Amino acid sequence: MRLMTTNGGQEPVFCTVVPPHVLDKLAQAEDSALSGAARRTLERDALERTRRRLTTVIGAPAITAPVGAEPGTPHRTIYDARHGTTLPGHQVRGEGEDPGKDATVNRAYAGLGATFELLLKAYGHDSIDGNGLPLDATVHYDRDYNNAFWNGEQMVFGDGDGEIFLDFTIPIDVIGHELSHGLTQYSANLTYFGQPGALNESMSDVFGALIKQYTLGQTAAEADWLIGAGLLAPRVTGVALRSMKAPGTAYDDDVLGKDPQPATMDGYVRTGRDNGGVHINSGIPNHAFYLVATALGGYAWERAGQIWYDVLTGGELKQQALFVDFATLTVKATKDRYGQGDELTAVLKAWEQVGVRTL
Amino acid sequence: MRIEVRRTGGFAGIERHAVVNTSGRPDAPEWRALAERVLAAGRGTPPLGVPDGFSYEITVDGRTVYCADPGLTEEQRELIRRVLKEGA
Repeated sequence: MRLMTTNGGQEPVFCTVVPPHVLDKLAQAEDSALSGAARRTLERDALERTRRRLTTVIGAPAITAPVGAEPGTPHRTIYDARHGTTLPGHQVRGEGEDPGKDATVNRAYAGLGATFELLLKAYGHDSIDGNGLPLDATVHYDRDYNNAFWNGEQMVFGDGDGEIFLDFTIPIDVIGHELSHGLTQYSANLTYFGQPGALNESMSDVFGALIKQYTLGQTAAEADWLIGAGLLAPRVTGVALRSMKAPGTAYDDDVLGKDPQPATMDGYVRTGRDNGGVHINSGIPNHAFYLVATALGGYAWERAGQIWYDVLTGGELKQQALFVDFATLTVKATKDRYGQGDELTAVLKAWEQVGVRTL
Repeated sequence: MRIEVRRTGGFAGIERHAVVNTSGRPDAPEWRALAERVLAAGRGTPPLGVPDGFSYEITVDGRTVYCADPGLTEEQRELIRRVLKEGA
């Protein structure tokens, strides 16, 4: 293995294959040519890491709406990674352009539009940052890639391997889920670990589900409350990835195993994996939202969604919030907006049912 | 050489795990070279990932390194892809 090469006899240039512990050692070396270069490499790596972390922690660098763009209109751009992993990839559809032949591109474009519309029409929130942020998504990321994620600046969608997962742009709630990570990042910015991480995940499932219901015009009683319905390949035994109505029942498959989500605190899972079980324990606040929405009836994005939106964006929800903090703030938000009526009863009852205290 | 990859997180939150034992394989030297590059570029502690990104734990003959999407090196991506037989 090559540790370093020389640069015209000036100073060593370190390749990226140098292990960090070797760099640590070299940075302490007495030879300043060695230590200086090693230190710069460590600093650059640390800078990149910090930059990535800051992007998810304090939000993406200030990207503003295009000059002359009208407020209250989306600014969508879809990119095609062409099965590579370079982001964002090649631009394939900009705002206002006609649909093309690629259904994945068209679904992503429509999903971004649906998310934008729900946030604006239901909550008066202009894009995910409340300030007209352009919405970017990359499709056809990598090959056989069984995932979709939010990288702090944009959404990324894989095509699935066709064996277990299909195209991640198929369920509109998955698109809404990823974009809602942006909504959370630009508002409460819940830490993506443990309980605040499970709340972060739950916010994305809640608003992802609301985007689907809004698009289909469904009431809380009519909705399926599933996350990722249509994403599992036909051979998989399961209906979706998560169920807000009945957490733990979305799939039970030979290859995938069983849906591990608890619906109540009795089933809370303590684990270091999955960022401290963020996709597992999100079942608890997910179910609380379902209980509130179905108790109130009608369109879930109206009263139940409004309460959750008020807490997420109200400025009081801390980055390290626990379930009890979130639940307590929903009670306060409900009183502030709706007083002592049915809404308050529904909210208190829901948290009690899932075993989360409110203070 | 025993190469183990554990993937956690991701939108689905479903864990994947696979092991490849390279001894006796005709392409063992290739695996070894790749695994050594992965160990060299890996971190001793899990990096903070991005929302819904995959996190990986790669163990080669008892030594474990961590990495996470979307910050994989090409070597990490290649090794994960070979062991899990999925995109990374």
